[in-house]
Amino acid sequence: MGGQISKMMNKIFGSKEMRLLMLGLDAAGKTTILYKLKLNQDVTTIPTVGFNVETVTYKNVKFNVWDVGGQDKIRPLWRHYFSGTQGLIFVIDSSDRDRIDEARQELHRIISDREMKEALLLVFANKRDIKGAMDPEEVKQRLQLEKLRDHTWFVEPSCAITGEGLFEGLGWLSEHVKLQAARQGK
Amino acid sequence: MSEWRPRTSSRNPSTRGSGRSSKPSSTPSSVFGNHFARPPVARTRKLRSQYPLDSDEPHVEYILVASFHVDKGPIMEHQYPAPISGDEHMLAELMLPDQAHVRKQDWTIFFLHKDNGGEDEKDDYSGGKQTAGGEEDHPSIEQDPDVTEEERKEEERQKLEDAMGGSEGPPLIYVLNLVNTKQDPTVKRGAVVKAMAICTRHSFLHIYKPLLLLALDEYFKSPRLETLASLYDAVNSMDLSLMPRLSLLERIILQASDSKDMFIEKFEQMIQQRMAGESKSPLPPSSPDSPSKSTTDLTRMVGGHRYTLPRDTHEYETRVIYNGIPIPVKVPTAVSPETVGDFSLIKLIQTFAGPHSTSPQPFMLHSHLTTAGAYTHPIIVLMNAMLTQKRVIFIGHNRPSGEVAEAVLAACALASGGILKGFTRHAFPYTDLTKIDALLKVPGFIAGVTNPAFANHPEWWDLLCDIPTGRMKISSRIAPAPVTEGLVYFNQQISLSANNVGSPSTNNPSDPVGDQAFMDDVLRSIANRYGEANIRARWRDWVVRFTRMAAVFEEIVYGASALYIGGDVADAGAAGVSGHGYVWSDDAARQRELSGAVSRIEGWRNTRSYYSFIQDLAQFYTCCPISQIDLHHHHDRLRSRKLTHNESAAIYFAFNSTVHSYAEICQLLTLAPESHAGLFYLSLGLFHPEGEVRVKTAELLERIMEHDAGRHFWASLSRFAKLAFLRIRKSREAAERKRVESNPGFAMRS
Repeated sequence: MGGQISKMMNKIFGSKEMRLLMLGLDAAGKTTILYKLKLNQDVTTIPTVGFNVETVTYKNVKFNVWDVGGQDKIRPLWRHYFSGTQGLIFVIDSSDRDRIDEARQELHRIISDREMKEALLLVFANKRDIKGAMDPEEVKQRLQLEKLRDHTWFVEPSCAITGEGLFEGLGWLSEHVKLQAARQGK
Repeated sequence: MSEWRPRTSSRNPSTRGSGRSSKPSSTPSSVFGNHFARPPVARTRKLRSQYPLDSDEPHVEYILVASFHVDKGPIMEHQYPAPISGDEHMLAELMLPDQAHVRKQDWTIFFLHKDNGGEDEKDDYSGGKQTAGGEEDHPSIEQDPDVTEEERKEEERQKLEDAMGGSEGPPLIYVLNLVNTKQDPTVKRGAVVKAMAICTRHSFLHIYKPLLLLALDEYFKSPRLETLASLYDAVNSMDLSLMPRLSLLERIILQASDSKDMFIEKFEQMIQQRMAGESKSPLPPSSPDSPSKSTTDLTRMVGGHRYTLPRDTHEYETRVIYNGIPIPVKVPTAVSPETVGDFSLIKLIQTFAGPHSTSPQPFMLHSHLTTAGAYTHPIIVLMNAMLTQKRVIFIGHNRPSGEVAEAVLAACALASGGILKGFTRHAFPYTDLTKIDALLKVPGFIAGVTNPAFANHPEWWDLLCDIPTGRMKISSRIAPAPVTEGLVYFNQQISLSANNVGSPSTNNPSDPVGDQAFMDDVLRSIANRYGEANIRARWRDWVVRFTRMAAVFEEIVYGASALYIGGDVADAGAAGVSGHGYVWSDDAARQRELSGAVSRIEGWRNTRSYYSFIQDLAQFYTCCPISQIDLHHHHDRLRSRKLTHNESAAIYFAFNSTVHSYAEICQLLTLAPESHAGLFYLSLGLFHPEGEVRVKTAELLERIMEHDAGRHFWASLSRFAKLAFLRIRKSREAAERKRVESNPGFAMRS
């Protein structure tokens, strides 16, 4: 009963919920980003076995952020998280030019999945503080984002440790999502 | 008969002299002459070990180590003694559960379905080439002249029992896995995640927990194959050879009993056999009550070996020496089918009963599951889901994976009740997304997961049990229950007969089968701190009742039931009584309860547990000692029906004339567990108005009193009944004496 009322209130006053999926190659900084958003702390992370999931509230939007481990053997599991995802956060290590092609292949594989066709795409060009890191334009080229005609995308340079760019990214997502009412109980 | 060694003196608890909490039997059997009790037959039989020393089946088959590679993900590092067949990468994934990185330590359990390559012949000792003088030298039963017909039958029974459940395929390999995450700033990405697993065919795999803790720690220090090898050698040197093998009926009795020295005689005999073997001499044929016997104290020293009788016969205490550290281990003496690991039914029940009692939430209706409407107790919903072979997932986000695994194992035991099978074989105590495709191919499963992504896929499950919130949810995508012929036919019958019997919902319309009353009772028992064993016994009762009701239902609807074998034999009136099956107090109760259970029963038919139960019943029927009358049925009649004196007399006479041998008494005792007032209903025969009934009941009780297990039942009988028994004995003895005096030759002859 109480849940019903608060759902209704949310509909009226626009408290929204958004399910985000954060993927990327191993050691790109996904977990560090997640806990910087959640705790506003720079936590020391270790490789993610499986996944992490946290809720982050920003500007009246509740973001349900899933962070899934990135080692190549476990990438086939990513597809199980696609269903119901409204936004994909793809994290790359912008100082790692050696693996940017590998990242591009993975990104295109994800975004072409039928279940992801509605999803917004935010690319965090992470580790931008490292000298010689790729700028957003280079990231856009190397990831061939121009090819993604059916998706709304955006590249945000970020630094997970300082938090630079992170909330700007969330802000972009919340502005562009066709704000659906909380899809609870379905 | 000269081989029979009466052990009355050793059975008197006072000679054992320990401060154990066993109930002393207030009337040592030596008080009474035992001229009309037949000696329990099993006594002469050489007892066999559950795990003989010469068995070539190792306790532990494999030791595995996996780690989470920072670049590659889960990889298998070592396997000992040889690579386990199957998908190595899949195993490595299972060994590194989701979110292992957020906790220092986690346990998981999973099962492997591995063929053991037709090596099942081991227990089939065919006489012939036995090593002479070996400790485990089983004399071939055919060649032993002392073996009676009764024992031969018993032997057959044992073999049949061993074969029971074999139809399901080779036993599972149970895997207990420990994963540790150690922060280490010197390594790439700051942490090492490693897991070690023990693969065994023992369902009591929890005994290996302390060993895995030590061994994985050791492996972090020296990550070599030798570390696995030394653990392997240690766990396989565990000696369980003095643990006696129990028959099916004995196991049921032991599990239902709180008595800490139930079947202690068997442990004594195992030690005696061992000592006799060590001194290279056959069992001492004389000296039944010799002084050496009465020194059977808690310990004995022979040849430097120390033999200890268990403090509680439910467990066998032994130890495993690993790295010079002796680690005590307790192995359960009697393990029910579908009982794996050390779960707690109480914990499972409390997890889901708590939120339901404080703020009940309605379920979406489904005729198989919500058998008492939208507010059916969640534990009953779970039970229904398991019985009707639904897909059940236990989910525990942010909980250790060991916790979800425990819930899955508890749910299997709950649904099985130690009676039904086929749940653990389709259980995945811990699984994750990597196995989802394989999981979805299994029709009806029980799985434990920690990943909340499963909650977002209602198409993957029928019932989702959320451990942190204690709520269950029926999937919006669940297949509707089919309308079966049986259902239609039964409902037609009900509507016809409802007019005759009166409304079937006379008693409590919201709880026709009594499930709610049952749950209330269980919860009260938990609150009053009755133990885990008590709660398991109650669920066993629930399952037994369910299967017996199903048999009656099938007989009504289909004219015959595979769930009851020998109904025509039992109805034929052997020993002066006839009738079979479940007993209701009256016809209205029968009508009401059957109509309440009908959709659950129809949903159960055609499931795996239904078919394997039918097979087990057939096997049990051929190996159970008494099948000419339905003991259970008639004992129930004594319990729950108002009988005329003649009716009850017939039952007491029938029991006395059919129940003689050791195994027959065991069968009777399984029907009168302590939790069901024990021998109380039998002892009522001591107060029967007809003198002959009183005498025959006393004869039966005397045999029970002389029985290894029966003496415990006798001991817990009320003083009132015991006095009545003594009175009858005395007058009987007086009559006997009179007869002997009048005919002195009689005593000489016997």
